[in-house]
Amino acid sequence: MIVNLLLGIPGERPGGLLLSILTAAGSGALAVVLGTVYATVCVQAPRLSLGLQAALAVLRGVPLLLLVFVLAQGTGLPLPAAGFLALLLYSLCHVGEALRSFLAAYPAVLREQARVLGLGTGREWLQLRLPWTFRRSLDALATHWISLLKDTGALIVVGIGELTTVAKVLSEQASISDWKLILASAALLYLATTVVLVQTLEFIKARYSLGGAEST
Amino acid sequence: MIVYVTATAILWALSGVLAVGLGLLLAAASLSSRLSVRLLGGSAVTLTRGVPTSLLVVAGGIVAIRLPPSGWVPNLFPGTPGDLRMVAAAVTVALAVGSTGHFAVIFQAAHAALGRYRIEQTTVLGLAPLQRTALLAREAALIALPPTGARLVHHLHNTAFAALFPVADLFGWIQEQASATFEVTRYALLGAGAYVGLSGLVWAGCKALELRLAVRPARPPSRLPAAPPNLSPTPSNLSPTPSTRP
Repeated sequence: MIVNLLLGIPGERPGGLLLSILTAAGSGALAVVLGTVYATVCVQAPRLSLGLQAALAVLRGVPLLLLVFVLAQGTGLPLPAAGFLALLLYSLCHVGEALRSFLAAYPAVLREQARVLGLGTGREWLQLRLPWTFRRSLDALATHWISLLKDTGALIVVGIGELTTVAKVLSEQASISDWKLILASAALLYLATTVVLVQTLEFIKARYSLGGAEST
Repeated sequence: MIVYVTATAILWALSGVLAVGLGLLLAAASLSSRLSVRLLGGSAVTLTRGVPTSLLVVAGGIVAIRLPPSGWVPNLFPGTPGDLRMVAAAVTVALAVGSTGHFAVIFQAAHAALGRYRIEQTTVLGLAPLQRTALLAREAALIALPPTGARLVHHLHNTAFAALFPVADLFGWIQEQASATFEVTRYALLGAGAYVGLSGLVWAGCKALELRLAVRPARPPSRLPAAPPNLSPTPSNLSPTPSTRP
């Protein structure tokens, strides 16, 4: 049972917790990359990006389950790809907005300093502005990543075999004494993964905030 | 469709009220002077924040679907058959538990943001416990309202998990209609519009409450204890002139 919860049901692997982690990590990381592009476009061309900002604002109002369902049923994509894309879009809506607000809040003093140091626009963005933005938005990004890991449970709606789906399938097949154990084990796995993720992010935040204090 | 929008609104309201109530309870427990209560509150917050709502709903639904229907549970959920009201009630409780920890953390943070000085100030003023709580709650509410609104919108989206069981809700209706007619885009757009509209209403409600609290300053308690004579407000001690003492 534990192996199934960790790796998925035979014939549908990777699944279970492994699939939840892979999907969350992949979509979360890609959302940061795309979110940075989105934030840069919004800051550099605010008027041109109004439509894009409005589209993401509307998308934030749509439940993740509906996104998963539409992409799985309305496109010809394979189910895992549709699930991944839904999580990516959902993540982009939140990460992009966090990065945009911090990128826009970049202090003018630092811009002046970069000019005094003779840094070009490209080098200023790479060496000062983006690192400053990432450091400042780390809290918001950390909260989102923790939420994203748990939100992979939404893939259950189209039967993608991540941890919640595997737990539901196993518990529906199990006897009364077993289903409680299965659901409790799945809850413990989520809890343990969340705690590890929280501790890792706390470590990264502590490390980066020290670096931030030195550099700004 | 109106029945399903109403069902979603009822599911959201019932579970939301329960979640906010439990969140307040857990936040209060974390401020308790007794270590055991603090530990219990902290563990409950970690547990409810660490387990996804999807799994809580699955667990609640599986437990309730095996139970015989009870007459004492009222069927408050339009569109849900009467013999499935236990499942609907279990889903409501699961949705509430899924948001409880998040609300508790929001309330804890708002209380902490008031600052020790402000909290101690209300104690020094000699207010009755109820008046003191009301005053601090009003001030903390201003801080807590924006994140509470955001969480309530997320909570609305979580009600879609009810579709995992035969409980009437908007997402379940979209799924059903799209599968029956193969018009996925049409029903998805309809549903998305309804969810965006409902999210907007939740956001606007919270914003209106926030503005109302911000515009109207907290009324001073009707019966304040008499201030000592040297602290009575007079034009001289209200003057902004800085002290000349070294």
